[in-house]
Amino acid sequence: MPKCVINGREAEFSPGQNLIEVAKQAGISVPYFCYHPGLSVVAQCRMCAVEIEKMPKLQTACSTMATEGMVVKTDSPRVLQAQKSTMEFLLINHPLDCPICDKSGECDLQDHSFNHGDAYSRYTEERRTYMDLDMGPVIKKNMNRCIHCTRCIRFGTEVSGIHEMVALKRGNDTEISTVDGRSLETDYAGNYADICPTGSLTVKDFRFKKRVWLLKKTPSVCEGCSRGCNMEIHQDANIVYRCVPRENMAVNKFWMCDEGRFNFQYIHDENRLIEPLVAEIHQKNAQLIPSDWSIAIDTAKSILMGKKTAVLVGSDLTQEEGTLLQQFLPQHLPDAEIYHFGTPGVVSTRDDAPADRLLKRRSKTSNLNGLEKLGFKGFEKFSQNIEAVFVIRGGKAILPNLSGLQVVGLGVFEKLQAEKFSVVLPGTSFAEKDGTIVNFEDLSQKIRRAILPPGQCKSLSEVLMMWTHRKKSFGAA
Amino acid sequence: MLDNMESFETLFIQHFSEESKPIDYYLNSMRGYSALKKALGMTQDDIILEVKKSNLRGRGGAGFPTGMKWGFIPKKSAKPKYLVCNADESEPGTFKDRDIMRYTPHLLIDGMAIAAHAIGANIGYIYIRGEYTRETKILNEAIDEAYKNGYLGKNIQGSEFSFDLTVHRGAGAYICGEETGLLNSLEGKRGEPRVKPPFPAQAGAFGGPTIVNNVETLAAVPFIINRGGDWFSKLGKLEKSGGTRLFCVSGHVKKPGVYELPAGSVTLRQLIYGYCHGILGDKKLKAVIPGGSSAPVLTADEIDVIVDIEPLMKIGTMLGSAGIIVVSEDYCVVKLLKRIVKFYAHESCGQCTPCREGCKWMEDILHRIEDGHGREQDIALLLEVADNINGKTLCALGDAAAGPVISFVKKFRADFEAHIRGGKCPNV
Repeated sequence: MPKCVINGREAEFSPGQNLIEVAKQAGISVPYFCYHPGLSVVAQCRMCAVEIEKMPKLQTACSTMATEGMVVKTDSPRVLQAQKSTMEFLLINHPLDCPICDKSGECDLQDHSFNHGDAYSRYTEERRTYMDLDMGPVIKKNMNRCIHCTRCIRFGTEVSGIHEMVALKRGNDTEISTVDGRSLETDYAGNYADICPTGSLTVKDFRFKKRVWLLKKTPSVCEGCSRGCNMEIHQDANIVYRCVPRENMAVNKFWMCDEGRFNFQYIHDENRLIEPLVAEIHQKNAQLIPSDWSIAIDTAKSILMGKKTAVLVGSDLTQEEGTLLQQFLPQHLPDAEIYHFGTPGVVSTRDDAPADRLLKRRSKTSNLNGLEKLGFKGFEKFSQNIEAVFVIRGGKAILPNLSGLQVVGLGVFEKLQAEKFSVVLPGTSFAEKDGTIVNFEDLSQKIRRAILPPGQCKSLSEVLMMWTHRKKSFGAA
Repeated sequence: MLDNMESFETLFIQHFSEESKPIDYYLNSMRGYSALKKALGMTQDDIILEVKKSNLRGRGGAGFPTGMKWGFIPKKSAKPKYLVCNADESEPGTFKDRDIMRYTPHLLIDGMAIAAHAIGANIGYIYIRGEYTRETKILNEAIDEAYKNGYLGKNIQGSEFSFDLTVHRGAGAYICGEETGLLNSLEGKRGEPRVKPPFPAQAGAFGGPTIVNNVETLAAVPFIINRGGDWFSKLGKLEKSGGTRLFCVSGHVKKPGVYELPAGSVTLRQLIYGYCHGILGDKKLKAVIPGGSSAPVLTADEIDVIVDIEPLMKIGTMLGSAGIIVVSEDYCVVKLLKRIVKFYAHESCGQCTPCREGCKWMEDILHRIEDGHGREQDIALLLEVADNINGKTLCALGDAAAGPVISFVKKFRADFEAHIRGGKCPNV
């Protein structure tokens, strides 16, 4: 491998790598704003200026490819002075509103200012201000904070494929905006906030909810489709505040769709059923009444056993849960027919296909491929004489039409979904369990528990354990 | 006139008169398109060699040897090659290209066809300053004439070479005179300079190898082909600077205008006091900006310098586009600098940090000083801001704004201090 020298340290590189990446590998960080490994190089912010031997001017590390024997300095007095001056230029018009800015704590501008900037300002002129613009439901724009790095513009044209973010006017008045001030159209709008190096673009859903330094971060995988985008779950005190993409060049690179990003919201939905429920008949209307786990399991047993029963296993369950059910079901419901389900119209992986040109897939559950590999059959329709159905899922598999059947539900359900159920056994969502899921490319990925299950929700293994050990039935039915 | 002036040959200026010259005039009185016919019989390498011998240097501002530039174009390219004429002429103080296009449009077309043949391009654009409406019309008419007479289009004069030429109007941005900003604008994008490398010769217009040349540069090419590179080179009085130059003199002189003189043949003093008949009202000379408003300023003591690329570079300024702005003693240099910096702040494209933020900051500081509200520390601050822009921007616009600030403050520091202490201009 060819080598260059950075700050006196020998650094190996592969041809075509720029100095930021080479330095990163060598453990040297070069500050930058406009550069992003997933976007084209524009060398606009000038923050990554470095000194290269035999070159009279400072060069931007993002646009300079390493060459054999190149001698680079990222910490010479000239470089430090250039960084200081760039920080000063960027900050003269930047508001001092860090205390009320959501980006604060994970802000490149703040971090670099702290590390490379000056503590006081020489700017006494009036600061530049802009009018606000509503950019739709996902992103809040605050142009006054913008440092014109144009990452968002490039993300639109180069990644999401919609040229909706543009630069208006020019020079000092340059404004980053949408075409004609329209709302954002892309399904990947959340990424605008992720790549924004300041608090200029923030996610509306997360605004003012939590200071980012209080968040605990759990690496996990999105359950929104069969892609399995890598993400981080950010929570504090058992409440998930947001999910953000995590770099995985083999799966989702740096990105994530809004559907996946905001999928977590059902975890804390006020309509989520978080205690065992059993239907009781009052004046001819069945109504779900809070119960306790023993009664609910006994009732479920009495409904499912000794009848013509079908079991629907959500393809949003993990491999571990699938394997567990493969052992459990033949023993306890030996005559039942068993299917996996998840997305209407997607019976097997053969029906799965890209749903857009970037990340989304047609299967709206994450582990279709995995359950199929375990040998589960895809659900198309029940045999004719089925009387009762046992639905086991996470929170994502879409329920088929179950009318006219007695239903026992185990998993995450909302009030309206379970209205006609006979028994609800509250289970865990993706954020409340560990496990493995297999994406459409046969890649096994781990999901991690970030929070404890709410209320009386129990994991599948716990529920099946109770089921197994409660031989006799008490009280109910 | 000064005594030591001998008679010399001019190429352009004798044709600069009231009207645009139609193709008949060009064919009959200027040996029109004979150079193109001759070039079509030459190999590409021979043409480039001839241009290299001529010591023709880019007339747009950078002074890069034209033949060498053409030599950078790869012989084989998967993408089409392009020849672009930079007719944006946006540097304040410059107005020579306008005259070439207005009076001798065919000279430019002739030169472009030869250049295109030399680099193997079949498509050419003239990117013309949007305000040049009259010249746009003249060029379009001339191009029509050239097509009708078989000097443009398919199989020019029965040869294998085809060349299509289009006039593209800019929308009024200084930055579109920067060659990569020009190319972006030509492609329909925002007029913002690109990161270099790759240089246009590798990947320019629409990703194809591209040569961008100034109007005056291209218009000189027919003379070189007709009369030889050596002859052209000897027109110039200095080594490595061939031909004649068009000087645009403006400001406080008695006879401003375009002057054509052999390259490197006169000093600034001869130009101002000889050809231009001295300063208006016979006042004293205060300052000269020798190469368009972005060139560092010279004081009255520094004008015994030959007006050409190397001599001016030696004393820390530049010939640039040869737009010479003359300032008399009763004009406020602080006001002048403020006006210059205001121009660059207004014309900054805004993509890179030092130029976007710094130019406006300098403008604000200068405005304050000129307004009588300057503070003692403002001069030091101004110089530091200029220093933080200088050489640290993506394109040369930052340098163009910082250069004048640094030179004005250094050379006329007393004026700035007087403004700050006295609250008003001492000279006006």
